[in-house]
Amino acid sequence: MLKQKFARPVSIIGTSSLPQRSFDDPEYKDLSIYELWAAACNQAMQDAGIKPKDVDKLVYSQMANFVTMGNVMSPVGSLEEWAGLAGKPVTHIEQACAGGYLAFNEAVNSVASGKYDIVMCAGLETPKHFNARNQPAYMLQPIQKYDGWWSPGRALFDTAYNRFDGVSDNLLTEEQGKYYIKHYGIDEKTLDDTYNAMAINLRYNASHNPRALERTPYSEIAKKAGYDDVMAYMRSDNNPKITQYIRKSGSVLHNVEAGAIIVCSADIAKKYQDHPITVIDHASVSNTQRYPFCFHQMNVDVRDALYGGQDNFNPDDLDLMITTVMTSGEQLDSAEVFGYLPEGKGYKYELEGRTRFDADRPINPHGGDLSFGHGFGCAGINMLSEAIMQMRGTAGGSQVPKPVNDVLVRGMGGGHTTVGILLENQD
Amino acid sequence: MYKLRPILKPYYDNLEKGKIMGMKCQDCGDVVWPPLPTCQKCGSTNLDWIDLGTEAVIDEIRFEDSSVGGDYTFRKADEFFVSKEPYCVCVGHFPAGTHQFHAALYGVTEENKDELTSQLPFKADAEFIQLDGGFKSVGFRVRK
Ligand SMILES: [Zn+2]
Repeated sequence: MLKQKFARPVSIIGTSSLPQRSFDDPEYKDLSIYELWAAACNQAMQDAGIKPKDVDKLVYSQMANFVTMGNVMSPVGSLEEWAGLAGKPVTHIEQACAGGYLAFNEAVNSVASGKYDIVMCAGLETPKHFNARNQPAYMLQPIQKYDGWWSPGRALFDTAYNRFDGVSDNLLTEEQGKYYIKHYGIDEKTLDDTYNAMAINLRYNASHNPRALERTPYSEIAKKAGYDDVMAYMRSDNNPKITQYIRKSGSVLHNVEAGAIIVCSADIAKKYQDHPITVIDHASVSNTQRYPFCFHQMNVDVRDALYGGQDNFNPDDLDLMITTVMTSGEQLDSAEVFGYLPEGKGYKYELEGRTRFDADRPINPHGGDLSFGHGFGCAGINMLSEAIMQMRGTAGGSQVPKPVNDVLVRGMGGGHTTVGILLENQD
Repeated sequence: MYKLRPILKPYYDNLEKGKIMGMKCQDCGDVVWPPLPTCQKCGSTNLDWIDLGTEAVIDEIRFEDSSVGGDYTFRKADEFFVSKEPYCVCVGHFPAGTHQFHAALYGVTEENKDELTSQLPFKADAEFIQLDGGFKSVGFRVRK
């Protein structure tokens, strides 16, 4: 049993379970982010068996509210109203795609401090659409039409002042490929095959998960394009390289998201939930991309902070790892740094399909950011929701077919913040 | 005692004059570029300006075909660059600096990238990139 690290123990008692969809999907016809937000918050409260009056505090995460919600600055009041929480304390967290994880951590801290008993953390994001400032929220416009939509180099990676504008996610996460080749002596072709296998594995997972955004297996896509061999398809121009290592199939998919999770003081958790999950610990670090290999270093620093709090912790005992995968290199690097896969050998696990949800070292059973989808500041909430459902055994078609009692959720946002969270079934 | 003084304006003013300034810690000798008021190594605020020259060592090349684009957010930020000449990202360091950095590198093409990569590390000259906001940023250019 892991050692929970809070002055007052904290449990998870509720989660939302909305699917990952686009506003272009008929399922989301005529909806705005507000309806999705209300649905997510209500799902989580219903799951926990509580009413809005029972929630002591809300921590909400959104990255691009100013851009995508009609230039509103922190719409905390209206969001509270839509969730039935008007008049409650609320804290807004904006820390790019790490925001959801940090909102969870802050909710946990709020309970752990003894100040609040029941806290909701929730997120929302519409990466592909925005509302004009002179129109209501259901009138959606494609984000490409937003003049001044953030540019990776400037708005996200260069927060102090205008240093250098050319940085992109693809290039900097590709350093993980560079690092891997340099340290573990595999060749570029093997790395390419590894990344392609990873994309295939994640899509395989997503094809069993109705909540995922992209659910067509690559084998099927390859057949339609005239390829019997899926790897031949993945290596072809149908799946072009964006950078030296990263192919299109290895780059994040964006979608609209809303999600919510409820945490409470462990001593009252059983009152609300037969199957509360214990929050063991969390850790996070922030850094800048000014220096090379920042992504890798953040993984190392979070691992040391998180595992350092446990006596004789063995990552082999983890049943599941859920990890941000903005581009292929991130899944492999984080899985090895956190010891979930053996250092320098993790690529074989991808090549052999051993990271699939039904294999021996499952990673991202929901499909991960490459297939499940990704919505910036909400992403962390939905990654945690997946962990919760897996631990309860209610994750549906992509449920890991063994007891899932110890889970590491590791997230990254903005190229500047990495988070690690340990969860355990202790009841 | 922390000394309140302009950091950004002198830095950008010097870029207009073709000079790239960093800051050197007077306590531990660590050099930070672009400049910051606090030493990233020892935490001291006893830093002074240092002229880093206009030549850097390029250690690695990161070449991206930005025309492919995995998603729309992955387009490069060069819409703010006055010149639309393509560039790639490099890892480099100043001879007088103490840390590697990421920067733009001009002159790398699909055709010459393998040859240039085989020559790493090599020296490159500073390229003062004109941005449409009326200031310059620092990149580098492969020598012919
Ligand atoms: Zn110093």
